[in-house]
Amino acid sequence: MTCEELQDQYELYAMGVAEDPEGAEIRAHLDRGCEVCMKGMKRAREVASMIGAAVAPAEPSAKLRRRILASVGVEQRGFGWAPWLGLLAALSLVGVFYFEAREQSSLEELAAVRNQMRQQAVDLTRLNEAFAIMTGPETKQVNFGAGAKGKVFVNPGSGVLLMATNLPPAPAGKAYEMWVIPKGAKPVPAGMFQSQADGTAMHIQRGPVDVNGLTVAVTMEDQAGAAQPTSPILIVAPLQ
Amino acid sequence: MLLSLLMAVLAEADAGIVKRLKARDPQALAEIYDRYGRIVYSLILRVVRDGGIAEDLVQETFLRVWNRAQGFDAERGAFGPWLLSVARNRAIDYLRSAGGRERNAVEWEEVDHPSLFIHMERDILASDHARVIRAALLKLTPQQREVIELAYFEGLTQTEMAERMGQPLGTVKTWVRTALKNLRDELGVAVPA
Repeated sequence: MTCEELQDQYELYAMGVAEDPEGAEIRAHLDRGCEVCMKGMKRAREVASMIGAAVAPAEPSAKLRRRILASVGVEQRGFGWAPWLGLLAALSLVGVFYFEAREQSSLEELAAVRNQMRQQAVDLTRLNEAFAIMTGPETKQVNFGAGAKGKVFVNPGSGVLLMATNLPPAPAGKAYEMWVIPKGAKPVPAGMFQSQADGTAMHIQRGPVDVNGLTVAVTMEDQAGAAQPTSPILIVAPLQ
Repeated sequence: MLLSLLMAVLAEADAGIVKRLKARDPQALAEIYDRYGRIVYSLILRVVRDGGIAEDLVQETFLRVWNRAQGFDAERGAFGPWLLSVARNRAIDYLRSAGGRERNAVEWEEVDHPSLFIHMERDILASDHARVIRAALLKLTPQQREVIELAYFEGLTQTEMAERMGQPLGTVKTWVRTALKNLRDELGVAVPA
């Protein structure tokens, strides 16, 4: 097709909605450096940008800014983990002085506080790992959503992060098991996890993974885990 | 004159922030958010029509920009239009995924790659341009405006628009062609190519 025949489609191509054969033709023209089409596309992108900029203004919540900046490690003084760790440390010190002045039974409470701190330290480490996977430049992500809903992030160097909602706590003796399924191969176990009382769950499988054609799935298994899935698939998330 | 000077200053400021963003300065992302967060949220909200989902997608957009800023040429590129393109594509991806019509994400690489936004006017998102495009959209017939909105805000192809609107494909193509021509004519006056 000639450039003249394609010019009506430039904006549709810029919006990613041009259909073939015109879409393929424009792509071919651009690939071979067609100056007419490149100039037309530049103009089309400007038109598309202006349509986007003309939307009615709306105001996001103030929390959103904090969420975004926290995810890249900014504003540590205001909203990072440091103040929480500092607070925990201060609480721990208060706990030490307080509990030392009490009878032996109070030492058990102090131990509980320390255990809680250890658990929070573990949680912080997991969150840091999760952020690293989410924000990795090579990370791919896919949404899932029928029953349990959520997202899977896969980074070829760091591992797989699964975040789910609407996943009820497993019955006693059972747990959720994540599977990574390479293209054309059997499922490979990728760790056991439990969901919270509110139905949320986060699970990380660390280590390199081949993302090409990968599918991530979840089943419910005995708490000890299974070598292959033995129950219906509850979550399936194929990477595109 | 004063407005042009102000826009030039803002463009220069943009270029400085982008350089810092490429150097992985998190404070630069804060400044980018303060400058563009509202318009990015407004656009995504218009597409997905749910505040909670829109905020999730705004976060994805800024993280994507944070991770892909390396490919952006701060000297020659128009950062705002690129950011808006990334935001719009994230929102359309969500719509397609939710509607069971997901496409290969590679497709977006063709339309929101940073290199495509070089030599674009940097002040294209300025409020006076927004007023011009709003006025141009209002001049379209209801059908012409609808097909433009279906393409941009819902990511529908002409075939999908025809199905949605219950109209023959040829009719829809005519509306799209006429709408785009009218928009080009209107914007051509306001924004020199």
